[in-house]
Amino acid sequence: MSGNTEEPKDLRKYLQQSHDRIFDNNRKWAEEQKAKHPEFFTKLSAGQSPEYLWIGCSDSRMPAEAITGLEPGEMFIHRNIANLVCNTDLNVMSVVNYAVRHLKVKHIVVCGHYGCGGVKAAMTPQDLGLLNPWLRNIRDVYRLHEAELDKITEEDKRYDRLVELNVVEQARNIIKTAAVQQSYAKNQFPIVHGWVFGFHDGLLKDLEIDFEGQLKSIQKIYNLTMV
Amino acid sequence: MPTLADAIERLVAGNREYAQRAAEADPNAFVELSKGQAPEVLWIGCADSRVPETTVCHCKPGDLFVHRNIANCVHADDLNAASVVEYAVAHLKVKKVVVCGHTKCGGANAALGDADLGQTLNTWLHPVRELRRKHKAELDRLPDDDARAVRVAELNVQQSIDVLKQHPAVKKAATDRGLTVHGMIYDLGAGHLRLLEESGRKKGNGLWSPT
Repeated sequence: MSGNTEEPKDLRKYLQQSHDRIFDNNRKWAEEQKAKHPEFFTKLSAGQSPEYLWIGCSDSRMPAEAITGLEPGEMFIHRNIANLVCNTDLNVMSVVNYAVRHLKVKHIVVCGHYGCGGVKAAMTPQDLGLLNPWLRNIRDVYRLHEAELDKITEEDKRYDRLVELNVVEQARNIIKTAAVQQSYAKNQFPIVHGWVFGFHDGLLKDLEIDFEGQLKSIQKIYNLTMV
Repeated sequence: MPTLADAIERLVAGNREYAQRAAEADPNAFVELSKGQAPEVLWIGCADSRVPETTVCHCKPGDLFVHRNIANCVHADDLNAASVVEYAVAHLKVKKVVVCGHTKCGGANAALGDADLGQTLNTWLHPVRELRRKHKAELDRLPDDDARAVRVAELNVQQSIDVLKQHPAVKKAATDRGLTVHGMIYDLGAGHLRLLEESGRKKGNGLWSPT
């Protein structure tokens, strides 16, 4: 878009076009799906039984279903700034509850990404107003791992490591929920995983969280299996 | 029966295939994505697995900034959604905010009654259930629960839009640079998005008044 020379009429036309594009794309997609699988939408209407819950970042560059090659119906998805799981947040806790207790998902994936704007903002000494309380959770992750992070002299590497440690801590926060602890005690699922996505190559990296080890370690203090 | 490990191997294999295809289609794809994001649209949708926004809108990575929760709610006191809106509108400067509900929504359906879903979900869905109580007469006239759930989904989208319009970043961007907020319903049975015209018209943002 050009700057000052722009006529309001052109701007309106442009806004209309960027809006219409979504509807054009959607119609095209629906037709393609129906041509490939005539029963596709009828089956989806009948209900969902996803195996996965994905907790990812809102970042536009990591649409969960696209980067994992999954079809509609396969993955229940929550996305927020910097893929945080805060225990006082009713929004994410409702998602975890519904996915674990009602949909009975088998896996929960917390997926962060290198170059995360939320994590970057939390490393910046600046008042960001409304975002302060949310980003504060990432600063707390830094404090938990201060010794390790402070040893990393290269700033980019320290940033990458904070992205990884943030995923690990959010995975631990999910393991601390009553829903996950009770379901695992009864069903041996869900398993909680921590991954990081890289834009430079489009690949997922498994942080290889030892789920059972983490569960045991948090249960010393956070055990909620007794109903 | 497939094992738990198979399900995860599938995702990893799917990702390998995605990365390979994307790089083949455009050797610069990941170079461009690494530089940053400039999405035009903030999408607030349901966590339901059947409404993956990028797929159903045939969009590419980088197009839509996304928040998804149970029943695509924007509650005034929810810091999670408010933080997403703040980041998308004040920092990334998206041009549009979309709230998208859908047919056969478990949350909207649960809001038709008062069944106990556990304290967490009861609390989250309370404002949606209040909507149902407020619009009881209208809902009672509808032929069946499917139709009632769609109407509750529409009312909930409109309520979310009303909350969004009071968000400080949205208010400022609407005045300063013409940010608009739009309501949609995705029809799971047809795969089609439907624009809720009145949600755009009522508050007079005017661009897409009904024809």
